[in-house]
Amino acid sequence: MTTVQDLPQVKGVKNIPLEEQFTSGHRTCQGCESALVMRLMIKAAGPRTIVLGSTGCMYVANTTYYSTPWVVPWMHTQLGSSGSAATGTAAGLSSLMRKGKMHQEPINVIAFCGDGGGADMGLSAISAALQHDEYNLLILMYDNESYANTDIQVSGSSPWGANSTFSPPGKVHRIMNKRWKKNTAPMLATGHPDVRYVATACGSYGLDFTNKIRRALTIGGPTFIHSIDPCPKGWDYDPKFSHELGMLAVETGLWVQYEIIDGEVILNGPSRAIARGIRKRKPITDYLTRQGRFAHMNEEDHKFFQERVDESWEKWWIPGIIPFSPKEQ
Amino acid sequence: MTTVETQLFQTETEDLISGSEAIAIACALADVDVITAYPIRPYDTVMQYVSKLKADGVFDCDFIVAESEHSQFEIVKHASAVGARTFSGSSGVGWFYAFEAITVTAGLRMPVVAMVGNRALDDPGAFGTEHNDALAVRDLGWMLYWVATAQEALDTALLAWRVAEDPNVLLPMAISCDGSFLTHSQAIVKVPASEQVRKYLPPYDRGKLQLHPDNPITVAPQVNEDWLMEIRRQSDEAMKRSVGVIQEAYQEFKEEFGRGDPSPFIEQYMAEDADIILVGMGTLALPVKVAIRRLREQGTKVGFVRVKFFRPFATEELRQALGHSKAVCVIDRDYSYGSPSFGGVLFHEMKSALYSLETRPLMLNFIAGLGGREVRVRDVNQIVEFGQQAMATGKIEQETTWIGVRE
Amino acid sequence: MSTVAVEVVYRGIFQKSLARNIVRNIVFAARKDGKIGTAFGRYGDSPERNGIPAKQFAVVADDPEELDEILAQYEPTEVDVTINVDDTMCKGVESWAWYGLQPINQLTKTDGTLIVTSRQDADSLIRDMHQKDSPFGLSIVKSTVSFSGLWVYKDDHTDVRILGNLCSICPQLVSLDSMLETIREQMGSETKVASAQKAYDIAVVRSVEPGEGNPETPYTFELPGWKSMEEGVVIRAIEPGGGFRGGDSGYQPVRSEVFKKYSTRSMRPVINFETCIKCTLCWLQCPDTCFDVTPDGLYDANMESCCGCGVCEAVCPVPDCVTMVGEPDFEDNNSQWEMWQKDKEGYNQWMMALVDKQKAETRSHGFHHVGGYADEIATTEEAS
Repeated sequence: MTTVQDLPQVKGVKNIPLEEQFTSGHRTCQGCESALVMRLMIKAAGPRTIVLGSTGCMYVANTTYYSTPWVVPWMHTQLGSSGSAATGTAAGLSSLMRKGKMHQEPINVIAFCGDGGGADMGLSAISAALQHDEYNLLILMYDNESYANTDIQVSGSSPWGANSTFSPPGKVHRIMNKRWKKNTAPMLATGHPDVRYVATACGSYGLDFTNKIRRALTIGGPTFIHSIDPCPKGWDYDPKFSHELGMLAVETGLWVQYEIIDGEVILNGPSRAIARGIRKRKPITDYLTRQGRFAHMNEEDHKFFQERVDESWEKWWIPGIIPFSPKEQ
Repeated sequence: MTTVETQLFQTETEDLISGSEAIAIACALADVDVITAYPIRPYDTVMQYVSKLKADGVFDCDFIVAESEHSQFEIVKHASAVGARTFSGSSGVGWFYAFEAITVTAGLRMPVVAMVGNRALDDPGAFGTEHNDALAVRDLGWMLYWVATAQEALDTALLAWRVAEDPNVLLPMAISCDGSFLTHSQAIVKVPASEQVRKYLPPYDRGKLQLHPDNPITVAPQVNEDWLMEIRRQSDEAMKRSVGVIQEAYQEFKEEFGRGDPSPFIEQYMAEDADIILVGMGTLALPVKVAIRRLREQGTKVGFVRVKFFRPFATEELRQALGHSKAVCVIDRDYSYGSPSFGGVLFHEMKSALYSLETRPLMLNFIAGLGGREVRVRDVNQIVEFGQQAMATGKIEQETTWIGVRE
Repeated sequence: MSTVAVEVVYRGIFQKSLARNIVRNIVFAARKDGKIGTAFGRYGDSPERNGIPAKQFAVVADDPEELDEILAQYEPTEVDVTINVDDTMCKGVESWAWYGLQPINQLTKTDGTLIVTSRQDADSLIRDMHQKDSPFGLSIVKSTVSFSGLWVYKDDHTDVRILGNLCSICPQLVSLDSMLETIREQMGSETKVASAQKAYDIAVVRSVEPGEGNPETPYTFELPGWKSMEEGVVIRAIEPGGGFRGGDSGYQPVRSEVFKKYSTRSMRPVINFETCIKCTLCWLQCPDTCFDVTPDGLYDANMESCCGCGVCEAVCPVPDCVTMVGEPDFEDNNSQWEMWQKDKEGYNQWMMALVDKQKAETRSHGFHHVGGYADEIATTEEAS
């Protein structure tokens, strides 16, 4: 196993590296949090990195032939291939270095996927990648809660009831998407207990995000990070509120910020404050009324949503992570 | 150079092995870096042999059992991007499960070498050989080769890395091996020494296209209608260049290893003065040649042209080999429902290749050997009879005939 | 032959429904006049992104054969009317289906008309537009620019006002009667019919002569052919950045030469360098890597890259330190920090005047909360 790079934890925003590995000139929406996630991710990882980008907004909007925002080497991969791309890249580098065909050095391998390409189509490949202890790699799933690049369709990670071109509220059916968002990070963590690092993240918390990327890249072995990315186009809001809505998702308890490091669960930021009772969860209505994709929802819908969030915090063994509890205490 | 010292392959040896094992040995000789496996019959015998070679330390590679064929081919594609020599393979619908990955591998110009253990497509499930699986990628930029013997399997694999990785080519190559006949039956094969192979195969070097922090590039950004034709034209040009590269590489192979045909693209058997020439691919060559030998003894002027490289297609060589004949009988171990002659793929390609001849031979199509059904000597005799009939009347009664089918 | 082509140039996603309403109703109305037509968007613009300029077209002809002639080229090479529903796009547009900066009047025929929704006057709009070799007309629909989103439409009558105006300035396209009838049928609202009628009544055209407007040449570049393109679908990455303005301290990334994105913005941030506490948040949270880091640790938004999302304003903890102000008030993409360095007093005055102006204006940028649009419409109506 090749060694890892020296990427120390950053203490304080002022110490976040100035160097940009992802610059201007991409065709994303105004206020695209996923683009911000890309920028922060690679800023944290540094120039000795290879990025594999699966099809989605962060492919099509960022890299349109003849222009690219990437300073580091970057290669496209298929929609469901983030796991296999990471494995293949890591295996290629590992084999060549071990056999003396390539100069030995730790090179970060990061493959990113959207919620559609990752949690839906690419789940099997990600799972397989996470079984390969011998490879250091990071799979980052940026979750804007839809298939966004194809003009917004619901995925397995879309919220219940959200408007999309596959789930429009109509005269007979108000709620077309009845699936509750699947819980991908805990699913992967519990299913692959040898994986040393699984985390959730949010671009609104820039320092926390930076350090999570660095922890994933330096702990060794395959790792996984799931970030929630407010999307002005799909969620329908004035782009300047991207940062605010990310925080609101956390402050309402809908999105839980945590890390699972070598088998220990650590809640971060507002999520920790909520768990400790220091902070009250904001009502989910505050979150739902700020987005056009929920504008068709009524009181009943809001109530249902709130109940689901309450359940996660009040009944689950670990809120947002483990939904079961033993019958016998 | 590999860091694993091996006792095997110090000198040229002989062994009794199947086509699958021959290709596995070729992987070891070629010092392949990353190999991905997924179980499906009949190709996966090659991966069973590879895993044994790795486990015994005969060569060093990252051998990854993927969780699906799609991932299998994605993994080697990406390993190839960073400069690793790669090998993978599949059969039938497994190959189809990987289709997305297979398609982009060619578009990205990754010189992956794959073995296709030709197998009938589901449904119904069947393990027997048919050529439709590998044929399906014929338009996409893969080089395609049909081998007939275990020896040829080994030799072609070595040729494959040489040609595919050539900086003027950089296209993937699929080596088609008839399921069962090649994958599971054994023959005497000359196995070269690893030193000979090291001399023959230069290291794989992507140069300015290498994905590595020392060479920051963006590979395959999204394109629109302003760019795609130019990119496709580049692949077209690469495939055209492959013809010269193949000729050179094959010639060098013959010089280094002392065996090979006059042409890398086709094999001619008793065809120079034949009136009726049969055309086919893969292991059916054996019963065809046996039948032809016997017919020749009886004075029938019949011959056989075996198509080896299906892509790039050797149009000119085939015109020269077949132009003088009166009747051409193409044997398709595949089918193409609803095609112009309701026949097979090879027939239609042959017809198109021979169209511009001044005098065109009569052309007949025979669907045979599907699903692993044997092509027997008497089937070949029957085919020759059809050819003779056509020659005698100067007309074609029925363009496509299904051979050996119970009514 | 009398085919008439109309293009609607709009802000992607924000004005997608608006553009669609306009082009479709043109075709429906033309049908009532006994003509035939079609409406479509540019495939190359798809998928649309918030703010990135896009186009939809309506093409009307007397009969199917004439229609075929104009549609044989998928995108019209010239149009009778260009409708620009965000006046900041008068500065030119860079979209995905075009390389470089395209003047807003690029496709407008000789003696065609450019309709712009704006609160500015004709002279300031003309100053923004690139000069054209041929004359054309400019007609302003006086209105705050209308922004919505994908799921909730801001129904502020901008669509029908434009349609009303269109009937006046391009009578050969469609008759007012047919248009009003179409609006009645398609939208089922008499108030909308009235809005359209009013827009028709007050429509004026001011002619723009060759030589009027912005004399700059909009940037373009040549597309290479397959022989000079690299193989393997490879393009070179962006170079790593370096010190601020090439110096030893601060930081400035290298930016794309071929896609600049500044034509995406309708607002831009102005920064008060003196109240800035250097918290880093604007720099850190900008999805477009716009902020150059100055040697004194301040953050200077690069105006070639800024697409005007407003996140910097939203995250800045200091009141009035970063303020999004209307794009029309600017003639260039100059660095604000450099301006401030040269003349601190002058810069501060200029900057604060813009901040004050913004407080009085009502240029909005999309959805804030359920029911928000109704509030905005009410406020705007009160204001006018």
